[in-house]
Amino acid sequence: MNRFFLSSLVTVVFLFESIIVQLFSYPLFDVYLLVPRALLIVLVFMTMFVGQAEGMTYGFIFGLLYDVVYTEILGAYTFAFPLIAYLVAKAMNILHKNAWTASFFSIVAIASVEWYTYAIQLVISGTTMSAPTFFQVRFLPTLFIHTIVILLIAYPLKQTLLKWGEKQDESSPM
Amino acid sequence: MPKFFLNKRLIILLVSLMVLVALIGFSLKDRSELTWMEKFVKDTVVFMQSIVHKPAQLVAGFFENVNDLRHTYEENKRLKAHLEQYVLLQSEVESLKKENERLRELLEKKESLRDFLAIQATVIGRNPDRWKETLIVNKGSQHGVEKNMAVITPQGLIGKVRSVSPFSATVQLLSAKDRQNRISAFIQGDENVFGLIEGYDEEREALLLKRIPYDAKIKKGQRVFTSGLGGIFPKGLFIGEVEEVVADEYGLTQIAYVKPAANFYDIDDVIIVKRKIDMVQEEEEQ
Repeated sequence: MNRFFLSSLVTVVFLFESIIVQLFSYPLFDVYLLVPRALLIVLVFMTMFVGQAEGMTYGFIFGLLYDVVYTEILGAYTFAFPLIAYLVAKAMNILHKNAWTASFFSIVAIASVEWYTYAIQLVISGTTMSAPTFFQVRFLPTLFIHTIVILLIAYPLKQTLLKWGEKQDESSPM
Repeated sequence: MPKFFLNKRLIILLVSLMVLVALIGFSLKDRSELTWMEKFVKDTVVFMQSIVHKPAQLVAGFFENVNDLRHTYEENKRLKAHLEQYVLLQSEVESLKKENERLRELLEKKESLRDFLAIQATVIGRNPDRWKETLIVNKGSQHGVEKNMAVITPQGLIGKVRSVSPFSATVQLLSAKDRQNRISAFIQGDENVFGLIEGYDEEREALLLKRIPYDAKIKKGQRVFTSGLGGIFPKGLFIGEVEEVVADEYGLTQIAYVKPAANFYDIDDVIIVKRKIDMVQEEEEQ
């Protein structure tokens, strides 16, 4: 596998988040707002199966890109993504690395990022959504869809990342 | 105390929290322009996105086409009925246009708030965060786009330009919550009633047209257009139809709920509108 596999994977996922929202922008059943968080899933899996340094660096770079290009609120994701990578790496000191823990942590990460962005929007008065509405309309459907997606991709994603990590270790002369 | 300061991780966390707050404060400030770094990053990402966007749209377009085919027969019947009215309307518009031109020449008044130049743009992305509904389009300051310009689709007004970089721009939809999202508008009737579009009611999916005089009589179904008095927007862009009129909290003015004519979802192409009267003034200044 190519040296640039990881960076191109993250870039493509990053670009697809925006495109997918644009192509399927209707709320589901006219009510539910789905927010793609595929980047976060890749980030958590990467931290676990490739390494903490990679996770935090990619988290920082793509968090910054997310802020500059999409939300125009600088800092929010730049701070959140590396922090999540860091916490996941710390939690791995006590837990086993496998597809199940990775899936679990991805879901936890999505949930916490959703609440975190909601809190920021409330503080800067960027939304008038009440907490119960947020919970029903945004939080639950997003979490539900991502749980399904994670269960589908967890194992192949883990295998790909592990294989890539090993290749990199072999090829590096140090 | 010294132990606290020795904890390196805690200090890093605190410093980054401070940077976070400072950065958010910086980006919330009403900036007239993005920094060159942001512009550069944005254009690079938009360039890559426009490459990925094409095949993705083709795939999505295929499913849409299949869906369209199922409704073709009924739609065709409806459109045929419309077509006959359309011919009548067109001849009427044509004669009115000519008369308008003639009268204008008589008055020697050449420019009007209504005239505008259209810049066609393709939507290549949407804010995936979905807190603020914004679109990314593939035309920027190099093509003449400026901040705060009106953005329309053939159905009607959808929003305004929020920020510009050389080869891309971000469009803020009318449904986005922003206190600075004010648009001067009027309700068409025997006597035009002026007001300001301020805000969006998410539950009713309607725009709020505020500051309507308390004695104005407005009926449901009347059409709302931009007035062109607010500065950058041209006159006569269709916004929507009045749904309901209520008195405001003090009873001094009325608030109308306006159902937007344009669809805020599923937007592929937009038109960015540049008012002609401004261009004339710019030339005179130079």
